[in-house]
Amino acid sequence: MSNYDNTTLIAASLKKRYARERRFQWYGRFAVFIGFVFLIVLLADIVSKGMPAFTQHFIKVDVTLDADRLGLPENPTQQDYFGADFGGVVKASLREMFPEVSGRGDKKQLYRLISVGAEYDLRDHLMANPELVGTTQSIWLRAHSEAGSYLKGQVSRALPEADRKVKDIQMDWLDQLRRDGRTQSRFNTVFFTAGDSREPELAGIRAALQGSFFTLMVTFLLAFPVGVMAAVYLEEFAPRNRLTDLIEININNLAAVPSIVFGLLGLAVFINFFELPRSAPLVGGMVLSLMTLPTIIITSRASIQAVSPSIREAALGVGASQLQTVLHHVLPVAMPGILTGSIIGMAQALGESAPLLMIGMVAFIMDAPSGVTDPSTVLPVQIFLWADSPERGFTEKTSAAIIVLMGFLILMNALAVFLRRRFEMK
Amino acid sequence: MTSLPHSDSHVKKLLVGTVLGVVAFATAGTAAAANRDIVSIVGSSTVYPFATVVAERFGRSTNFKTPKIESTGSGGGLKLFCKGVGANTPDITNSSRRIKKSEYDDCQANGVTDVIEVLVGYDGIAIANSKEATQYDLTLRDIYLALAKDIPGPDGKLVPNPNKTWRDVNPALPATRIEVLGPPPTSGTRDAFAELAMGGGAQSVPALKTLRGLGADDVAGIKAAMAGLGMPGGIYDGFVETKGKAPSGKDLFKTVAYAIREDGAYIEAGENDNLIVQKLEANPSALGIFGFSFLEENGDKVQGSRVNGVVPDFDSIADGDYPVSRPLYFYMKGAHVGKIPGIQEYAMEFTSSRAMGEDGYLPEKGLIPLADDELREVQAIVKNLKRLEM
Amino acid sequence: MQTSTVLLVLVALCIASFFFARRKSHAVAHGSGGLTTLHSLPKHYGYMALAWAGLPALAALALWSALEPRMLEAEVVSSLPAEVRALPEQQFGLYYNQILGYASGGMNAAELDEVQLAAADRYSALAARFSWLRSALVFAVALAGAVLAIRRVQPALRARNHVESIIRWILFSCSFLAVLTTLGIVLSVLFEAVRFFQVIPLTDFLFGLEWSPQMAIRSDQVGASGSFGFVPLLVGTLLISAVAMLIAVPVGLMSAIYLSEYASRRFRTLTKPVLEILAGVPTVVYGFFAALTVAPLVRTLGESVGLTVASESALAAGVVMGIMIIPFVMSLSDDIINAVPDTMREASLGMGATMSETIRKVLLPAALPGIVGGILLAVSRAIGETMIVVMAAGLSAKLTANPLEAVTTITVQIVTLLVGDQEFDSPKTLAAFALGLVLFFVTLLLNVVALYVVRRYREQYE
Repeated sequence: MSNYDNTTLIAASLKKRYARERRFQWYGRFAVFIGFVFLIVLLADIVSKGMPAFTQHFIKVDVTLDADRLGLPENPTQQDYFGADFGGVVKASLREMFPEVSGRGDKKQLYRLISVGAEYDLRDHLMANPELVGTTQSIWLRAHSEAGSYLKGQVSRALPEADRKVKDIQMDWLDQLRRDGRTQSRFNTVFFTAGDSREPELAGIRAALQGSFFTLMVTFLLAFPVGVMAAVYLEEFAPRNRLTDLIEININNLAAVPSIVFGLLGLAVFINFFELPRSAPLVGGMVLSLMTLPTIIITSRASIQAVSPSIREAALGVGASQLQTVLHHVLPVAMPGILTGSIIGMAQALGESAPLLMIGMVAFIMDAPSGVTDPSTVLPVQIFLWADSPERGFTEKTSAAIIVLMGFLILMNALAVFLRRRFEMK
Repeated sequence: MTSLPHSDSHVKKLLVGTVLGVVAFATAGTAAAANRDIVSIVGSSTVYPFATVVAERFGRSTNFKTPKIESTGSGGGLKLFCKGVGANTPDITNSSRRIKKSEYDDCQANGVTDVIEVLVGYDGIAIANSKEATQYDLTLRDIYLALAKDIPGPDGKLVPNPNKTWRDVNPALPATRIEVLGPPPTSGTRDAFAELAMGGGAQSVPALKTLRGLGADDVAGIKAAMAGLGMPGGIYDGFVETKGKAPSGKDLFKTVAYAIREDGAYIEAGENDNLIVQKLEANPSALGIFGFSFLEENGDKVQGSRVNGVVPDFDSIADGDYPVSRPLYFYMKGAHVGKIPGIQEYAMEFTSSRAMGEDGYLPEKGLIPLADDELREVQAIVKNLKRLEM
Repeated sequence: MQTSTVLLVLVALCIASFFFARRKSHAVAHGSGGLTTLHSLPKHYGYMALAWAGLPALAALALWSALEPRMLEAEVVSSLPAEVRALPEQQFGLYYNQILGYASGGMNAAELDEVQLAAADRYSALAARFSWLRSALVFAVALAGAVLAIRRVQPALRARNHVESIIRWILFSCSFLAVLTTLGIVLSVLFEAVRFFQVIPLTDFLFGLEWSPQMAIRSDQVGASGSFGFVPLLVGTLLISAVAMLIAVPVGLMSAIYLSEYASRRFRTLTKPVLEILAGVPTVVYGFFAALTVAPLVRTLGESVGLTVASESALAAGVVMGIMIIPFVMSLSDDIINAVPDTMREASLGMGATMSETIRKVLLPAALPGIVGGILLAVSRAIGETMIVVMAAGLSAKLTANPLEAVTTITVQIVTLLVGDQEFDSPKTLAAFALGLVLFFVTLLLNVVALYVVRRYREQYE
């Protein structure tokens, strides 16, 4: 009787239990789904914001390159070119294209169609082709970022005029230029060849990329040998004692210390105590190498551990010393794993910015550094700086810089995965 | 004891790499300490947007390297600047107020004897709010009564500021909570604001105005005025003790008038003026204090309040009608000119007519330019590296 | 001679001594009956000479460079007239600084008096001589080391063992660097923090309810008096971390459970790396995303239902931080769930429990300590995260538990206090180090506890 009861009870509850089971599974699916949604939204947001930054508009202007107007003497030297009034010539050409424009305010709006960088482009063009002096040329000049954003269709006329940077009158001119076929969209090369700028249309990531490169080079040169040697010591030579335990605990804890604390260390020790230069990749690299050292040590140890004992024993068996065994046999086998870990550590360092804020790498720096002690910034800090800039044009530049940064990270991680695969196959 | 060739070369590579790395660092380190060929600039966040524009033009139109500019606030910048001479100290510091005597003395004491002062233009201090809210019409007195730490109570004695809303200050103002985002003491904007707005407003209180007018020798008069305001006598004695001289009425006036309340109505928002603009956009009931150039840059988001009936705009600040406007400066280290290439040339670019003239590119960015004769004077100072005496 | 030149010559000397020693070993071996009579390979003798030449010389160089400024000062000061030496310390410091300034070319002669000019000349002459002395010392040490090593080359010399023990010491010092780093962090932060606590009492810092670190920075400035109560920062930090955990723990834990218990192998191998991309995204990118996309979104959403939301709400920063931490929680939970022995799963399933019942009633209770440890690790990471909050959280320290308001965090304050400004004498700057100290110890504590819990848990099933 009771047996029968239990069975019916169980049978009755089964439906509920299965429903709960299905619900639970759906919770799980939902959680994974949420993770995906976050990832996709994040990437889509950045890519959609950043893609427009890879193109740039140019406006064709008929420029009269009159030597008198430019203030260029016969056979001008570089100094003469630098002193010449190209800005005035560009402005005059714009006035000639729109002769009806009068009034200081309107003229100012007119000049704002063209980037302030156009005069330097024009100067470089003329320096390369001095025979053009005295002629009138149709030259494609870089558009101002606000004008560019209208040409890209990012600004709508529907918005009240007071709420947008591009005014109605400028829109009329731009429309007219577009009808005349005097506007053109090109790939934004400046973004990859120039350094920081106050004008969004002239700003580029080259200086920051170069800064990142020098910083990472310093990081790698310091962290990789030291990390590998530390791992070798701990895995192969360290006696079991208090000191070794202390070192191990230290490494594990350092791996979890917030990165900004390393910035404090860098500021107090490297900059204030050793008086190393501020804003230099040298100091940045030193700070980042301390930060990535635990990662490299931990992964190197793991891959040294993974080397089959038979290799070690064989080497020791034929009379190699312990050091020879490690250097000649264990390390070469463990190297792909060590490299994988180091690349991951480097990728971490490439994306890191917090400790670098402490050591003066947030600054307006236009020129690409040519050495590890030149002032420079790095890509993530450049992103931080641009994200903070008031000019609207910088939002898309920021996203574009993020795309480039992520591209490098993906590349580095892909390399790490590739190495790990090859390693595993062995 | 034979070894695999590839592993041996690997070890060698590691060794050689390490040695080369060490050598490279040492070389780089010593080279950096010895010479720097990039002008290093620190200082005011208000001057930063102008300085960066000049630096960019300078870098593009000369063979010099583009100067490096850090935004540290006027006070912080002067502190770094006055730390000493040498490649590890900045060459130029921007300031949104004049250097103070105490800072000048600090400079002298640290061997920075040759300081060149360059006036670059004017900037209004806007008291702005979000465009979503109504525009305020304030007087300096309103500002003082809303933000001072202590204000005279009904009996004329100083009491901790009781005002909660703008209506408490002036019945004509809306009944919104007083919430002002402003710069911290490291900022030159803060100093200028305290002097011009708070000090100006405090002078509308007769007792404070009287105190301000008394000289240091009129000890009895000062003590009487202080008693009338209910200020403890300890303030006077404390002054004598720390400064080593008797304070004038003006010194005591400053301690009262310039002190800004700390009960949450005034929120220190850091050096970053952009941030204040963003916060105002988010919070329509708050007011923010920042430079006019930021007001102009963000004219689509925020509006400047009228002060004493004057709207902050280009003309009213240039004419001096707008009461809260201050000069902007930068300071050069004479000792570095000629040692670090480009300092004087940068200063000449900054003060050239194409930059600072009325149609120059700096006024376009919101700088209020100097009058013609002032400009010529400044250009002469830069040319002759005329040293500042205080 | 510049340091770089000295180093280059030193490297050349080392390489030369390597070849000399190696050749000597060949010669010695030749004299005594062939290479096999040598204890070690010829190159080991070379390495030994290289180490003997290089290491002591490097040490000498470092020592000299550290002592040189002091020796110079002592020499120059001793030549100054007695009345100058009797000046009060501060005045003397200025006096001496002017000498240095002139000697390094930073000042004009007109600024200095005769005595100073003479001292500066003396200084320059001494500096030049010291530079030569240093080079001579370094090269002498290197040569002596090399000669000693080369002279010792004998067939019986155990050069390999010798070199190996040197290398072993180098390896040891590399791993000891980790201890030095920790020590460096603790000391540099502690040193400045102690100076801070001399001005601001520790109790005011730990229990104060108000944080406004701005103070007058000049004697003649009327500034804020400054208050350094740490509580609002802690509350703000915890508030944002709590929001982050509310996102990261359920999503991360459930994803881990689903992927390890339900998902097919293929789905798992495809999904896991994709979700782990979230862990590789730089924090500055999350900060940008939080400030420009999530914060306005949260605000618009909140306002559409009639809530007042600050533009830099704790919610926005917390949500984005949570997204960042999801993969971290996921992989930790994954490890821990996988460590539960299969026997427990099978026993439960065998009794007729459904999978979800097994997970809830058997796996999770068994894995609980490990999961708690993992969450503690995630919390420690949230507390130390900087860029997201710097870009998306506020600056005003408000004591509130409302995630729709703007709060500030420890890391935000460190950055705000230290970016640009670096005068090391005002409590304002020193406060950043005090905060750093707290941050270091809080995260350290969390990690030690978490690692201990996780290890205990692991050991239970091993």
